[in-house]
Amino acid sequence: MPDKKVTIQATRFDPDRDEKPRLQSYEIPFSDESMVVLDALNYIKSHVDGSLSYRWSCRMGICGSCGMMVNGTPKLTCNAFLRDYWPRPVVVEPLNNFPLIRDLVIDMDDFMHKLKSIKPWIIRKQEIPLGGGEHRQTNDQIDEFRQFSECINCMLCYAACPVYGLNNEFLGPAATALARRYNLDSRDQGLTQRLPVIADTEGVWECSFVGECSVVCPKGVDPAKAIQQTKLDTTMRFVLPFGTRE
Amino acid sequence: MPANWWTRSRRYFLYVVREFTALPLALWLLWLLVEIKRAGDGPARYSPHGSAAFVVFSVIVLLFALYHSFTFLTLAGTIIHLRFIDRPVPASLIVLSQFALWAVASGVIAFVLIWFGR
Amino acid sequence: MDFESYDVLVVGGGLAGIRAAIAAVEANPRVKVGMVSKVYPMRSHTVSAEGGAAAALAPGDSYETHAFDTIKGSDYLADQDVVEAFVREAPVEIIQMEHWGCPWSRNPDGTIAVRPFGGMTTWRTCYAADKTGFHMLHTVFQTSLKYPQITRHDEAFVTKLLVEDSRCVGVVALDIRTGRFDAITAKSVILATGGLGRVYAFTTNGNICTGDGMALAYRAGAGLRDMEMVQFHPTGLPFTGILITEAVRGEGGYLLNNQGERFLKRYVPNKMELGPRDIISRAMVTEFEEGRGFEGPHGKYMHLDVRHLGEEMIDRKLPFMRELGREFVGIDIVKDPIPVRPVQHYMMGGVDADISGATPILGLYAAGECANVGLNGGNRLGSNSLPECLVFGAAAGRAAAHYSASAKPVTANPVDAMLWDEARRVEAAYLEKKGGDERIGVIREEMQKEMDAGAGVFRTRDGLSRLARNLGGLRERFEKVKIEDSSRTFNTEIMAALELDFMLEVASAITFSALAREESRGAHARLDFPERDDKKFLKHTLAFHTNALAPRLEYSDVTITNFQPQARTY
Repeated sequence: MPDKKVTIQATRFDPDRDEKPRLQSYEIPFSDESMVVLDALNYIKSHVDGSLSYRWSCRMGICGSCGMMVNGTPKLTCNAFLRDYWPRPVVVEPLNNFPLIRDLVIDMDDFMHKLKSIKPWIIRKQEIPLGGGEHRQTNDQIDEFRQFSECINCMLCYAACPVYGLNNEFLGPAATALARRYNLDSRDQGLTQRLPVIADTEGVWECSFVGECSVVCPKGVDPAKAIQQTKLDTTMRFVLPFGTRE
Repeated sequence: MPANWWTRSRRYFLYVVREFTALPLALWLLWLLVEIKRAGDGPARYSPHGSAAFVVFSVIVLLFALYHSFTFLTLAGTIIHLRFIDRPVPASLIVLSQFALWAVASGVIAFVLIWFGR
Repeated sequence: MDFESYDVLVVGGGLAGIRAAIAAVEANPRVKVGMVSKVYPMRSHTVSAEGGAAAALAPGDSYETHAFDTIKGSDYLADQDVVEAFVREAPVEIIQMEHWGCPWSRNPDGTIAVRPFGGMTTWRTCYAADKTGFHMLHTVFQTSLKYPQITRHDEAFVTKLLVEDSRCVGVVALDIRTGRFDAITAKSVILATGGLGRVYAFTTNGNICTGDGMALAYRAGAGLRDMEMVQFHPTGLPFTGILITEAVRGEGGYLLNNQGERFLKRYVPNKMELGPRDIISRAMVTEFEEGRGFEGPHGKYMHLDVRHLGEEMIDRKLPFMRELGREFVGIDIVKDPIPVRPVQHYMMGGVDADISGATPILGLYAAGECANVGLNGGNRLGSNSLPECLVFGAAAGRAAAHYSASAKPVTANPVDAMLWDEARRVEAAYLEKKGGDERIGVIREEMQKEMDAGAGVFRTRDGLSRLARNLGGLRERFEKVKIEDSSRTFNTEIMAALELDFMLEVASAITFSALAREESRGAHARLDFPERDDKKFLKHTLAFHTNALAPRLEYSDVTITNFQPQARTY
């Protein structure tokens, strides 16, 4: 199929020149069945239009850079195969719900602040010295939090969340999942330090359980579950005199 | 966000429908309060509202209530996080127990109503 | 133009860089640390490491065997004092990562589990399923957020090191979002910019691995050591080059040729699939050439077969491999063999640095893949690079903090002038230039193809000479490059041009170093000089930048302590 073509429509926006984003259409060779949307963008940048801007790196679904809206759905473009869209045109837009910097590049500073606000590190009342060796932890104990530790910060869940779209003060899916990851870790004792952020009005209680975050997650993390579990946990702590767990 | 955001995908739409089911439910419950108030005047002066339109409305609300309860109870498997002798309790078991509790509670209420209503 | 000043400035936000930043702060809590990275730190390529991190932790293991395995693996080009220090520090760092929350896979008693790995004589590779690098990077990055002394400059690209009176006093960085040039000054600078895999066409490395730190140090006058030593990993997916971890073989997977035969019995009969990467990659290419590879739309390949391991084991220990097979190839590795072929993976060579990461330039340190501290010699063993980032990242961080405590403050005067010159250089070369007609993408693709052909698994004098000539031609064409993007905001085309400039620089260092090493050692296999020559070449190559294409080459001795070179058979 040497002559097969695919049409890519990509968002173009340069804040120095454009008032608002527009779509630009490119027709490029669809030369290999293994091609993904990111390959198409790379072809455009190398051979057609060097000014198209987007982020990418590992192209194996783990660095989390290349999230974009593909035909209206948040996707990692390294993992969105052209053959699944062809012969229809593929519309590639920046992730929803974020300020736009340029073309397909969004501003995710907000998430970086939220990530820090949930204290995503092990908090202990007393550190054990390095010479004391590792904390003992069974694989079952790891399974408690494993899926929440698989978040790659790709921002697809924020792009899918209408609550975040309506109110970007909302802590959001990934940050809550990561808070849960530490709260469920048998080595951690920092729940009470994280509660003021996650149980705040802009924390889990803002979520109305649309559930779309978990649907779009490319890594099988279930942030909606993390949020609902956190709601139950914080309620139990409020209702029960001594809290449910440290 | 544009006002029509919930029409953009099927799943957003179903979510809005799920949330919307609470509204007619609330209306029906308000009506029930009015009926209870009226029934308080004594059996002699009370005649229940029985128009066909109201029956149809009630049936629809019943379906909504069932749908809402079903989705709510199914979510228990996602939300509740229990351990029993160092093993996580499977989500299906939690969901099943929720439905069982629901059935038992409905039975008890039905029993009370019928027994004392005789 | 802004002017920020730090005690320690780390360039690069991967495992080595973040570990260095934390170590600097823990060595001296008053130290002010800056961290510049061209991507958000959690995008750094550490994230793609899969198999694990080696450390002599398990009962029955010893520092000595880890050291010997590493030295033998290096084909005796490792500096043995460095290796001996490394193996002692590695277990401490693994425990430190555990305390910071890394979800290491565990033994039934709750201690950290280990798995077998290529070239290691015993089980010593700690792992977090098959996403070890991902978990380590996110753990160390999230932990770094608790230190108020660390200030990050995310998405800023360093274009030049500020060197004054042969002392490094900071960097010039292009803020990608605004297009503004900033001088970020510091009493010491740690380069931790990772590898250069994108010099090759077929590589496991991400788009960001363009040898920036090596080129920066090279241009500033530091030597690049052992640049001919490029590692080819035996098992990459055809077309994408996505890495299939060595842990697949560690856990018992078989490599099969088109006869269904475990062909490694002819090459590494005692180790089979657990042989070192350089030898297995050569074995695969030899088999291809003798007609025993599978033919596919994206070239020849072998089968990596894990079907006999069973679904339960695969899901527990290799879940990401199953995901990659399903998502990127459309196979289920529980039922289908995985197509694999050798792929550029790692750079043993790098910025000449000592055991504490110090380079010959005062105030300049290097750690991780961009550095050559003498650990990996001619061939790195699988699972030694993650602990290398920890051990030598931490060492560089401590050394830089210590040095900065007594170093003179940086003066603004010369820095301003240097910043101005550098900003003018880049703007004149790319933003304001008119009339170029060469595409960056095209030159880059040609360079990558040339490197695959000339400096691949097997090399010859003819091939390397041709490569050198062609790189010269590409350098000339690069001067006529056309930049279509004139925006100041997130201009990724200028980034690509700056990266290509760096890549052409390190590509020539690789080529000329390889041309001069007329022997076969470790990953450097010369068909015209098939034997190792300890008389002439038990030495490190040092390449120094010149104004011509070819570097000036020097040689330095290898430190030998306890292990005299022997024939390297497995």
